[in-house]
Amino acid sequence: MRQLPLGIRVPDRAVFASFLAGRDTQAVEHLASLARGAAGAAWICGPSGVGKTHLLQATCVLASERLRAGYLPLRELGPLGSGALEGLTELDCLCLDDLDAVAGNAEWERALFGLHHEMLERGGRVIAAARAPPALLEWALPDLGSRWAASAVFQLRGLAESELTRALQLRARARGLELPEATAQWLQRRYPREMRALYDLLDSLDEAALVARRRLTVPFIRSVLSRRTQA
Amino acid sequence: MLVEASLWSRCVSTLEAELPEQQFNTWVRPLQAVEGVGALKLLAPNRFVVDWVNANLLPRLGELLRDASTGGAPIVTVEVGSRNKAHVAQPSPVGAKPRRAEGIVVGARLNPEFSFAAFVEGKSNQLAKAAALQVAENPGRAYNPLFLYGGVGLGKTHLMHAIAHLIKERDGEARVAYVHSERFVGDMVRALQHSTMNEFKTAYRSLDALLIDDIQFFANKERSQEEFFHTFNELLEGQHQVIVTCDRYPKEVAGLEERLRSRFGSGLTVAIEPPELETCVAILLTKAQVVSIALPEEVAFFIAKRVRSNVRELEGALRRVIANSRFTGHAITLEFAKDALRDLLQLQAKLVTIENIQKTVADYYKVRMGDLLSKRRNRSVARPRQVAMALAKELTSHSLPEIGDAFGGRDHTTVLHACKRIKELRGTEQRMSEDYSNLLRTLTG
Repeated sequence: MRQLPLGIRVPDRAVFASFLAGRDTQAVEHLASLARGAAGAAWICGPSGVGKTHLLQATCVLASERLRAGYLPLRELGPLGSGALEGLTELDCLCLDDLDAVAGNAEWERALFGLHHEMLERGGRVIAAARAPPALLEWALPDLGSRWAASAVFQLRGLAESELTRALQLRARARGLELPEATAQWLQRRYPREMRALYDLLDSLDEAALVARRRLTVPFIRSVLSRRTQA
Repeated sequence: MLVEASLWSRCVSTLEAELPEQQFNTWVRPLQAVEGVGALKLLAPNRFVVDWVNANLLPRLGELLRDASTGGAPIVTVEVGSRNKAHVAQPSPVGAKPRRAEGIVVGARLNPEFSFAAFVEGKSNQLAKAAALQVAENPGRAYNPLFLYGGVGLGKTHLMHAIAHLIKERDGEARVAYVHSERFVGDMVRALQHSTMNEFKTAYRSLDALLIDDIQFFANKERSQEEFFHTFNELLEGQHQVIVTCDRYPKEVAGLEERLRSRFGSGLTVAIEPPELETCVAILLTKAQVVSIALPEEVAFFIAKRVRSNVRELEGALRRVIANSRFTGHAITLEFAKDALRDLLQLQAKLVTIENIQKTVADYYKVRMGDLLSKRRNRSVARPRQVAMALAKELTSHSLPEIGDAFGGRDHTTVLHACKRIKELRGTEQRMSEDYSNLLRTLTG
């Protein structure tokens, strides 16, 4: 008899506790200090999948305990126009994701310039994430780029191989699954070593394990994945 | 019925569990609730949030409120606003107090750290500092207007704040306002919207000193330029001080009315150049001292040599080293600083390639890339080519033969000659010196 999984998934909360900092401990610590009330600006950068969005959301969540905070995915909000930033200077902590998506757009940059200026003037905190550090982006307003460059800029390195295994196991445990080290390493060797992709994979394996009432062994995973490929 | 104090927070907890986290953080977290008798008013930062909440949240919120309320569910409304609006409109009065004239707040908070004492003087900025000091000691009489210009992050804003501090220090009653030009435009737009232009004019025109930053932001904003022109004239006629900063020489600001440009040039115009190495080192040591950090000189030299585009980036690099040091508890040594900045410096070094230099120089001098690599020897092409070669030698680790090769297969002696020639010209021709500095900044900033 097949077990039917309920359509409920334990949400993966993007908080500091669920982020394995590894080589990025200093960046994590700096963002946490801003979220706890220190004033200033910070910039985190790195390729897709290193945890920028997770860290911004975690900062937003932690800051919300005492401050008024918000998270803005600028790639998504881009089509709305820079009006989407109106009124946000009244927040105490603002996390701007994908800032590179609007860099080079004079209208957005003017609005961001005003926001950056006013937030810091008021003793607030503003944190941005992008693929590259501010000095490497093409700015329409070089002044905005240099203001960001004056903030604490952290290049996220992502997790090392061994930490990736730990992160996967941590995630599996949060779902009530036991992911043996050998299995985690097997996955890492065969799939893109990018956290988001691996987490998605883990989600589907979680569901399959529940349905089949099996443990996450290499043979089981291999059969699930080969079925998926054939489908 | 008075909405229970915890009602909104209970709804928030449920919504946090139900909504995708990103959505919750973007649209729900910034909301503020005002709970009244039988009513719940949600205040959103802008109309986009209002629209989103109306379209996506209200039905579910209605259900949650019905379930959570003991009596009838409160009526929910969503509007743009903030509970602490009044507080926000008036920045905290550190340093000079913002001036209020019939409801209009003029001027931003002054940064107490931006004083003359904290301004590190070097060859690149000593003239600007001297002029600023003169103006602060004799407002309205020394140089009026004072026009400070230079690239980003070179200390223009610092000098402005220092002037404002000193004027206030010498005359506690002086009405001084430091305003970023974006703020001036914003204030004016609000005054037009709320039909309070007279108050706006009175507020700005009754100042003893108006310090307006980054006037390049006025470009192509005709209405703002006109209003500023009249404000400017009135202040000058009343012998009140006006200080203006810009990222370039007044005549070079595109989109600015001719009458404004010529007015800006009617007082004293002073350039701030990028700081030389020794000044960068002094700036780093001073900034470290301000936050009580012992920064060894060799570390300051290391940072200054590697981060050379502007003071803001120096500050960013220093901030990063300090953050690492505070976190790890390690003293700042040369090795420590190299390690802390390794990623960033490596990334930035990658940017400066010969090809990139050629492209940037070609753009700057408005010549084609192909011309730089061609055999043409007329001056309009040869000079930019020499500049590009000199920059390639300075900013990359390529050998002279490699640089020569990259410029259409030229001999390394040609590169050597170009470097010598440009060095000479930088010492004798101001234009060349400025061009070179601008290019250096563009490439390393």
